[in-house]
Amino acid sequence: MKKIYIATFVFSTFFFAGCADDYLDVDQTESISTKDTELYNNDAGAAQFVTAIYNKFLNWDMTSFGWIGLSSITSDDADKGSSPGDTGTDKDVLDALTYNASNPSAESTFIANYDGINRCNQALNIIPKLDKADPNLRARLIGEAKFLRAFMYFTLVKCYGGVPIVDHLPVPGNDSDRIMQLTRKTSAEVYTFIEADLNDAIAALPEKTAYSVNERSRASKGAAYALLAKVSLYQKNWQKVIDNCNKITGYSIVSDYASMFRAAGKFDSESIFEIYAQGAAPAKGIEGYSNTQGARGTGGWGWGFNSPSQSLVNAYEPGDVRKAATIIFRGSTLYDGRVVPNTVENERYNYKAYSSAYTDAWETDVDIKYLRYAEVLLMKAEALNELGQTSNAIPLLNQIRNRAGLANTTFSSQVDIRNAIWRERRVEMAFEHDRFFDLVRTGQAKTAFAVDGKVFTVGKNELFPIPATFIKQAGGLSQQNPGY
Amino acid sequence: MRNFIFSFLALILLPAYMSGQVIKGKVLDQTGIGVPGAFIVAGNVSADTDFDGNFSIAAKEGTILKISLVGFESVSVPATLTPMTITLKESKDTALKEVVVIGYGTRKKIDNTTAISSIKAEEITKTKVLNASQAIQGKASGVQVISSDLPGSTPSVIIRGLGTALGGRTPLYVVDGMQTENINNINSNDITSYEILKDASALAIYGTRAANGVIIITTKKGKGEKISVEIESFAGMREPLKKVKMAGSNKYSHYSNVALQSTTFSQDQPVNTDWFDEITRTGTYTQNNISISGASESIKYFFSLGNYEEKAVLNGLDYGRTTFRNNNEYKISKKLTLNQNFSFTSGKSAPKPLSAFTNAYKQSPIVPVYFPDGKYGVSRVGNDGFASETGSSFNNVGNPVAQLNFFDEQQRSVTLQGGLKLDYEIIKSLKFTSQFNGEFYTWKQYNYDDTKNIWLAANPNKVSSDYENEFPNANINLLTKGREQYFNWNMSNYLTYNEVFGEIHDVELTAGIETSVKGPREKLTIARKNVNSNSNYWSLKGDNDYETNITSYQDEVFNETKLASYFGRFQYKLMDKYLFTGTIRRDGSSNFGKDYRWGNFPAFGLGWVITKEKFMEDVKVINLLKLRGGWGRLGNQNVPLNNQSYTSGPNSYLGGSILNLGTTISSQIDPSLSWEITEESSVGLDFELLDSRLKGAFDVYDKNTSNVILNTKPYLTSGITSASPAHVGEVSNKGFEVSLRWDDKITDDFSYWVGGNFSNNKNEITGLKDVILSPVIGGGLGNGQDTKLLDNTTVGQPLGSFYIYQYAGFDATNGKMMYYNAAGEKVTQDALNANTDKKYVGSSLPKSNYGLSLGFNYKNFDFSVDGYGTSGAKVYNGKKAQRFSGENIEESLATDFWTTNNLTASNPAPFNQVPVASTYYLESGDFFRINNITLGYKLPIQSNNLISSCRIYVNAINPFITQKFSGFSPELNGDGNPYGTQGVELDAYPTLRSFVIGANLKF
Repeated sequence: MKKIYIATFVFSTFFFAGCADDYLDVDQTESISTKDTELYNNDAGAAQFVTAIYNKFLNWDMTSFGWIGLSSITSDDADKGSSPGDTGTDKDVLDALTYNASNPSAESTFIANYDGINRCNQALNIIPKLDKADPNLRARLIGEAKFLRAFMYFTLVKCYGGVPIVDHLPVPGNDSDRIMQLTRKTSAEVYTFIEADLNDAIAALPEKTAYSVNERSRASKGAAYALLAKVSLYQKNWQKVIDNCNKITGYSIVSDYASMFRAAGKFDSESIFEIYAQGAAPAKGIEGYSNTQGARGTGGWGWGFNSPSQSLVNAYEPGDVRKAATIIFRGSTLYDGRVVPNTVENERYNYKAYSSAYTDAWETDVDIKYLRYAEVLLMKAEALNELGQTSNAIPLLNQIRNRAGLANTTFSSQVDIRNAIWRERRVEMAFEHDRFFDLVRTGQAKTAFAVDGKVFTVGKNELFPIPATFIKQAGGLSQQNPGY
Repeated sequence: MRNFIFSFLALILLPAYMSGQVIKGKVLDQTGIGVPGAFIVAGNVSADTDFDGNFSIAAKEGTILKISLVGFESVSVPATLTPMTITLKESKDTALKEVVVIGYGTRKKIDNTTAISSIKAEEITKTKVLNASQAIQGKASGVQVISSDLPGSTPSVIIRGLGTALGGRTPLYVVDGMQTENINNINSNDITSYEILKDASALAIYGTRAANGVIIITTKKGKGEKISVEIESFAGMREPLKKVKMAGSNKYSHYSNVALQSTTFSQDQPVNTDWFDEITRTGTYTQNNISISGASESIKYFFSLGNYEEKAVLNGLDYGRTTFRNNNEYKISKKLTLNQNFSFTSGKSAPKPLSAFTNAYKQSPIVPVYFPDGKYGVSRVGNDGFASETGSSFNNVGNPVAQLNFFDEQQRSVTLQGGLKLDYEIIKSLKFTSQFNGEFYTWKQYNYDDTKNIWLAANPNKVSSDYENEFPNANINLLTKGREQYFNWNMSNYLTYNEVFGEIHDVELTAGIETSVKGPREKLTIARKNVNSNSNYWSLKGDNDYETNITSYQDEVFNETKLASYFGRFQYKLMDKYLFTGTIRRDGSSNFGKDYRWGNFPAFGLGWVITKEKFMEDVKVINLLKLRGGWGRLGNQNVPLNNQSYTSGPNSYLGGSILNLGTTISSQIDPSLSWEITEESSVGLDFELLDSRLKGAFDVYDKNTSNVILNTKPYLTSGITSASPAHVGEVSNKGFEVSLRWDDKITDDFSYWVGGNFSNNKNEITGLKDVILSPVIGGGLGNGQDTKLLDNTTVGQPLGSFYIYQYAGFDATNGKMMYYNAAGEKVTQDALNANTDKKYVGSSLPKSNYGLSLGFNYKNFDFSVDGYGTSGAKVYNGKKAQRFSGENIEESLATDFWTTNNLTASNPAPFNQVPVASTYYLESGDFFRINNITLGYKLPIQSNNLISSCRIYVNAINPFITQKFSGFSPELNGDGNPYGTQGVELDAYPTLRSFVIGANLKF
């Protein structure tokens, strides 16, 4: 008996010493552990990590109220709208360009884009490990993730200037990763990073036509070229703009401008990259996008923010079909027969956010067309003009004008054509989240805002404030933008 | 195994019976009364005296019998064949004999270097409550018990302050070796000792589970030679200790009219409902226990059966518990002992929502319980200013009687707990112990929500068809059924070596290994709509309606956790006066990452029995003086898990109508996340003076938890928005404890005692690493207002701190409530800034608590009083702070509020707005309560009767309280979370006053 117990004791000591560590490896049961990558080691599994990135663009903070505030309400195209007393948290100060360092919309947009970048980095981290998924599919998915990451960094660099480049998944506690996450890079470095991602994406992505009907919102080669052209435009790399625009093939401008912003116009021949939304249950649309911008008051269907400004109304030449396609006027009848009564609170609303079928729903079928072929033509025209090839630029500009029901431009000098292209961009792309950044890019901001009666402070208002929480976390590794 | 044991047993014991003679006798105390439970040893054989002091033992004439008993001096006499009479002398220094349980062993109290509070069995059963931890409230210094009289609730036990914010706060319970977190399944009558390990040098032997303290509970064993039967029964009635006087109908109407600036309510109301009375009843409870125990040389047995039934003060709330226990000890051979214990507990309850208390507080007295046509009263007022079925709604409070009547839920649980323990004496000084314990728990529940009828009761002006028309697809009813079970076990093997070298070096070594497994908890919850209203038909065989009517189905399996441990302890005693204890435990936990799962927990203790020194020999007034102190490191592994999971849900369409699944990872886990480490240094002094009539102890401690886990906000650029737990905080607990007790015997018929203890603890979040915390916002009132905060600004505050606006009195010109803003100006609540104007105003956790105890025995009477109090805690009057329109008010407010005619009233003008959380509703939680008064009488029974002893008693629990709080009870355990509802009186069960009569019979 004695021997048995001693033996048991000794044996169990060995047991603990020998394999206690394995003994303590307990598998999770209440949720799927990230250690279990095998579960996703197939085609469908790999695709899920990229789908999650597209999903981010439907998010409230990413694409809706805050982003509308930063990219649109701030510009001379739009006023805050809504009731005078409803600030929409901070839309009043965005409209007036009087926001300070703790601006909620600037903070939420910053956080949302980095959230999206995390999803890209998660996909880029795991997909190469999923060796049972089709290698061609994996290569394409990696291309999509890189395109989307470039897209988000482009948003960040436009809004905040140089930002930290998080190019891989940081390990908590790792010091170099900490420094990576907390140190702002220069704008030039961010642009270089974006271009590298886009070049990788171009190599990996197929043309839009290669995608099936159910995958048309995925990033394509054309989208990557178009974004690279736009990134080059922002860096005044004119030849690169032209080169990349020339590589965008298979697209054409549609004849009816207004059709592009209706349900029937999804993925038309002009659309290069659009955020796709579905209003039918189970709805997956951009959260609150239509609602926040819908007509407010009796007979309305929304909060009434982001109201087209008088300045924008004035910018349309007589006969421009784009005015009626962009702006809902109080008292008018919409294309689907809906009458907007005179009882709504604001004179004008954003037509491009209007959903006919899901008017007052939180998630509607309204897409955002971030890259259109019309812009490709305008970018190319601008670049040609800047390189002195004004006569080659004019036909491109006229293509856009003619489609809008306007005659050919009467200008011919380089300076006049430059201004004409800039004006054309404004009316062509109004309420497509471009105007504010275009004003800053082209240096028109101060004069443009002066027309609108607002003070644009040069050296400050070009960029939005970096979130105060981030500056605090950075503990000296990063500084706030000037003027905040 | 059992067959083997019995046959083995028979073989071993047979020779002893064959060869020995039987020596009989009686052991008496100095007064000539038989002493039960004395221990008699004759060589290898031992026996105990029965309840009259009689014994018989198999021994040869002339063998030396050694008779010993705690509290008496041992004697050795040679055995005689004629019946022996042995008189024991009471020992003066009882502390020398007392034994404490120290974890994986016992130690004489005098030789122990650590802080352990031992609570005796009779103290636990004296206060007639369900859970032993509630009964020990105020009886141990340094131990804070916050309890609730809600049947089946678990009291919070905080030992020497709280050292964690997000981790588990419950002490580790070790019940006969089973490590568990709850003792609701233990019948207090079965407990023989309840010991609280308080300082780190005592606790370190339990390693990563010890930071919240350890409570070791030992249940009874059989003793005495003949079978003894004990019956204990009591019955009691219960009522709320304190009620809040609410305004009557007319005062309510007056106040509400002023608030609404209208004449909505008639001031001559026909109805005056006292809602509190309507939802409560006089509670009753009974407990019956029977135990059978005894012992022979080879077996000690103990059986007990207990039943507890309570009809609670809240209408319809019932609770019942049946326990069965069997503890046996088999002496298989001289060297081998097997202990087996088993307990079965079945609980059943019909819970009722405690929000009924809040609704009763808020509902207007003008609303009848039932309208004359039998429909439930609702808060609607007609044009005549009286409550009516069709008038306009004036508050959003439901009818609390209807709420209770409609609430239909039953819960049942079964807990099986038990284990085997084998002690084997390898050689005289070396013992091997192997122990296995397991705990199986199963629980089931149903909840039936009569959705449509509830709606109709709330809308007496509507008829059945209105429901279908207004909610075309809504369910008629909803049945939720739940099941849950788990199995936890632990096994330990250890060796104990004890030897005295050279007469002065007493060495004891313990070394062992242990594993504890908390098995995966499985939970199944199914909700079904539109079931048959007859509960018999809820589970029809082959009913294929199930598929379409299931509204939710959850089948969860929670993570299993395992612990593997090595432990060792070295105890050394030099010349009976210099003591040293060193312990070490090495724990590995499956909760943590591979490289961070093993930790070492060392501790040491020193003791010096000063009274054993030569120079103290002449100091007759001091009977015992012992200085002890120690240091140790403890862990808390019950912290947020560092398991990382995929995030599913970010799905998207990609251009068509197919919804694509999306998955990502949206959390960031610090791989180095591990247990929280607490280090404690403490010093204590034990003393006995004046012939040991005055006994006491004094302890000071300094406890620091240096790596408290708090939720941090990840870097914004990480893209992770969910909070990430990290070791970033530091919490300090410093305190002292005093306990004193005076016992004296005036005559043989009269003895008395007076005792008390006082504990003070200073809890503070002392530091925070350079991080930004994701705030913990707590103490929510359900109306958008929160009362507690833990974030970067909390450094320097105690845990559980309230963070609210400061009330600045009301504006005498208009009666509006004013608050101080950050600049110190008085502003109205609309002008307050939530980010800058709130302040920390004290914690829901008390700073001090104290207990008092006194009593006497006179002839056959015994009488005792226990009191308990706390100070330094704040409580928030959450139910009062909810009023915004049309709810009832307290009478003190209804009769004294600001009007243009009463500018100097003590309360502000009536208003109709959700009030911000402010110090206006924060009150002192200080109280002193008599927890228990007991008067017992032992019937004079001849010793040769069938009944050997009968004591009848009356007991008053919580008969009196002095409190500053204006609500029901300042003792508010809530959910037990200092950042939850603890310290907030909202949906809280009131403290009860109970009167009990009972009897204890022994056969």
